[in-house]
Amino acid sequence: MNHEPYDTLAATYAVGALDGQERVDFERHLAEGCDVCEATLRESAEAFAALARSRPPMIPPPAVKEALVRRLAATAPVRRGEARPRRRVWAVGTAAAVIAVAAFTSTWVASRYEARLGEMAREWSAARTELEGQLSLLRKQVDVYANAADLLRDPQAQVVALRGLGPSPEATGRVVWHPTRGGYVFVASLPAAPKGMAYEMWTIGEGAPQPAGLFQVGTSGEAVHRIDPVKDGKPVKVFAVTLETEAGVAAPQGPMVLASAK
Amino acid sequence: MTSIGADLVRQMAAGDREAFGVFYDRYAPVVFPLILRIVRERADASDVLQEVFWEAWRDAPAYDAARGSAEAWMVTRARTRAIDRIRSTRRRSETFVAPLDEGLAAGPRESAPDAAERAADRGTVMSALDRLPDAQREVIELAYYAGLTQTEIAERLKQPLGTVKTRIRLALERLREVVKTSS
Repeated sequence: MNHEPYDTLAATYAVGALDGQERVDFERHLAEGCDVCEATLRESAEAFAALARSRPPMIPPPAVKEALVRRLAATAPVRRGEARPRRRVWAVGTAAAVIAVAAFTSTWVASRYEARLGEMAREWSAARTELEGQLSLLRKQVDVYANAADLLRDPQAQVVALRGLGPSPEATGRVVWHPTRGGYVFVASLPAAPKGMAYEMWTIGEGAPQPAGLFQVGTSGEAVHRIDPVKDGKPVKVFAVTLETEAGVAAPQGPMVLASAK
Repeated sequence: MTSIGADLVRQMAAGDREAFGVFYDRYAPVVFPLILRIVRERADASDVLQEVFWEAWRDAPAYDAARGSAEAWMVTRARTRAIDRIRSTRRRSETFVAPLDEGLAAGPRESAPDAAERAADRGTVMSALDRLPDAQREVIELAYYAGLTQTEIAERLKQPLGTVKTRIRLALERLREVVKTSS
């Protein structure tokens, strides 16, 4: 097959200028695996890196690194007594310290308690898996909050209140919404969905309600859910949440549990 | 090429925060001027820089040294995020039309002796972009630094799409050639 048309597409793609159907076609070509195009993209990226390196370096404002250090400290386990970390982060830090001590102790007693060693190793590994799970959950949460905060800085962003309805009058919710970037819904005091069911988010504009994803509520009654932007940036007039089957539905069927005022 | 960078990313993937500090000190001064050149505003550039490094920390486990240097990994990421930022600004102000001259002049284009001096100081890459024929350099500026697509460039320059594509391909071939022979 003649590869030349792809050389041009790869070059245009490498400078980020490929658009329309050609972009779709080229990405399919890439996905099918093409060593020639991959090499072109790789070499182009290195060329632009060399170009960036050839410019005079510039020290960024120190506040950027400080902010990153803060974000890092809030996501990774911290030592006890350090700063004033939030409760759950503190709990992770404590658990990490406990595990560190356990690991140290286990090395020391290894020679005397050979029989116990295998069991301890399994326990330790289970604890570590658990801890890693918690950590990744925390990282995701912080990401969500950072993204929502970033969204709020945008003058186009708005905050919409949701009120509990029908089966859950005490439930509350807030949507942080941006017309082109989408947003997040934060809910509280919503009971966990019954087995086999889930909550489904809806954005309602001129036409029929558009499904905006499924989410579950934990035992705390709280949840955060990302809402993708509406196609073509069409305005949203009402945000609503219904209770549906776990698989989700294309048009709302179940009871409405939360909605914004019109 | 820069295996130190790749090592740092591997350490970051393992959760090493000190490695992240070193990584930042090493690459932030390289990508910051690039971001600033694209978004223009220092406050915006700082925001984008923070996001770019935060994503690098998060995505470190996915980095594959066989697919490129850590530096290229960061430069690509920085360029993409900076362009995202100006595209969203552009969408917001529907009537936005970046004047062509301003678009080209706003980058750190220096006077001729300056460019020559620096090219001598820093090897051949700098002069590689400057030595491209004007028509080729222009399409690279509009695509890579101003974030225009091929269709937008064709409209802006009132040139057929095919011409724009050819210029981009030729320009990129030359840039890649210079980097290959100088490394």
